[in-house]
Amino acid sequence: MAGTGGETSAQTLADSTSVLSTHGLTKDFNHLRAVDNLDLTVYAGDVFGFLGPNGAGKTTTIRLMFGLIYPTSGYVQVLGHRIPGARQEALRHMTGFVDDPVFYKNLSARRNLRLLSGMQGPVSEERISEVLEMVGLENRGDSKAGSYSHGMIQRLGIALALVHCPDLIVLDEPTSGLDPQGTKDVRRLIAELGEQGTTVFLSSHLLHEVELVCNRAAIMTKGRMIVEGPVSDLHPSTSSVKVLTDNQAKAREVLARLVAPNTVVLDEGYLVFTSTEELVPQAVRRLVEDGLDVLAVVPSVAQGLEDMFLNLTADAGEGGLGATVSADAKGRR
Amino acid sequence: MSNIRREFYKMLFQKRTYIGWAGLFIVPFLVTVAVRFSDAGQQHGPDGPEAVLIQLMRGNGLFSAVATLGVLTGFFLPLLASMSGSYTIAGEAESGTLRTVLIEPVSRGPLLLAKWLVANIYMAIGMALLSVASLIIGSAIFGAEPMQLLSGGTTISVGQGLLRIAASYAFVLVGMAAVVSLATLFSTLANSSLTAVFGALVLVIVMQVLGSFSVFDFLEPYLITSHFDAWQNLLRHPIVWEPMWKGLINFVVWIVGTTGLGYVVFQRKDVLT
Repeated sequence: MAGTGGETSAQTLADSTSVLSTHGLTKDFNHLRAVDNLDLTVYAGDVFGFLGPNGAGKTTTIRLMFGLIYPTSGYVQVLGHRIPGARQEALRHMTGFVDDPVFYKNLSARRNLRLLSGMQGPVSEERISEVLEMVGLENRGDSKAGSYSHGMIQRLGIALALVHCPDLIVLDEPTSGLDPQGTKDVRRLIAELGEQGTTVFLSSHLLHEVELVCNRAAIMTKGRMIVEGPVSDLHPSTSSVKVLTDNQAKAREVLARLVAPNTVVLDEGYLVFTSTEELVPQAVRRLVEDGLDVLAVVPSVAQGLEDMFLNLTADAGEGGLGATVSADAKGRR
Repeated sequence: MSNIRREFYKMLFQKRTYIGWAGLFIVPFLVTVAVRFSDAGQQHGPDGPEAVLIQLMRGNGLFSAVATLGVLTGFFLPLLASMSGSYTIAGEAESGTLRTVLIEPVSRGPLLLAKWLVANIYMAIGMALLSVASLIIGSAIFGAEPMQLLSGGTTISVGQGLLRIAASYAFVLVGMAAVVSLATLFSTLANSSLTAVFGALVLVIVMQVLGSFSVFDFLEPYLITSHFDAWQNLLRHPIVWEPMWKGLINFVVWIVGTTGLGYVVFQRKDVLT
């Protein structure tokens, strides 16, 4: 574990090191299977997004990671230490919070940080001031936690996670309850942690957030992981393109020779077809070569992670979930 | 920072800590003042051995400490002990701080034992306040004289009397540690401190009811409450040790049994709050 200074031992980890992994992780509550045979891996330096609809099992998974609850089967591994078996050793390398962070209301923020982070080792007052400043609470450090707003408590939770410069920070919806500026600040902070080599596991229902700050992500629904991989690979490589020419009928024939004929449709006067980025200039060139005047080419908004998330979770909900998709082999950072 | 120091520090920042202590500090004043202004010939307040102690108080303020102890051992002290023990795990689970604590690399077993110990320290401080307040007000109103013991005929010096009073409080404190342990066990089973308080208190009351019917005499050696008043043997000459030893053994068995069970339960507890 790193000391109380500003250095992080995560910097010393090799890129390929698995910092956090789950192996056949399963948790049953009575007859309900909340987490079902979950296998995922988070590598050193990852800012890993953990997505899923409400009730997907995200928070249960995080509770299992912290050893707050016991798995029915399987285990979590943090830098070689198994949870639940070696929970204490594992927690020396990871911090964070699950659900909303909670503090002692009668104690000031500073006292809370001193008391709670002191469980892991001595902490200097300077370090406490430093983390309070990092989350923008430097002027409220002596106020009681009970007087804090929800957003300030979230920030204090992040401050607590940062005190000991852990190898891995697990954050459950860290921007929940924050104002736009606060949200922006926290995202910037997470991105900076990632750049400094700290591994971050970020559970969020904000897909845009995951796209912005994460390099890898997993999507979970009904206790099962349905996709895991680099965020860039979770985007479909295709998007829709609208074309307007002086002769749409002829243009349709030309485009049909270039892409699958049934993907070219006429919509409100425009020809719409599904294309890769590379195919667009080729299509325009072919249209011009065939004597057509190209009046407009309008790229539609690319299909985002949100669409993919909705499609995948809807498929899973309809029982159409077959095997886990893994884009993991490509493009780790 | 050690678990014990941290738990003690937390306790000092809780309002209920001071409310409980204030209650223990005020009750002796109320009891002593009530006795002072009631008619000597009439009986006011509790029946039984406590009534004798209250009558003795009129002649000697030192008995204020033993009379108050006798009055509070029946309900108030077990209530406070139940509340103190129940907050250990259930109170923190209820407020959500238990998960904040357990996310830190701390061992559950030593954490529970530290919480249990601090709950008992809370009771010890409370009972110290109770004895000091009783002696101050009792001596101020009725004076401090050599104590005539309950067995009659024998009088001991003020110093000897204070020593026996201290021993009586220490004995009751061990009895209350058994109640704290019971509440700690309930605390590991519940996620609400109120549930744990009720659980422990109901069990204490059930024991008191069982102990008051001769048909359940065979259970008496095993009930915590049957031994609560054994400290009164310290005010006899010679001191009758046997019921006190039996009481202490009973308390220790309950302490080890319930705290040990709580330890095991807490080790395997799913923290979902």
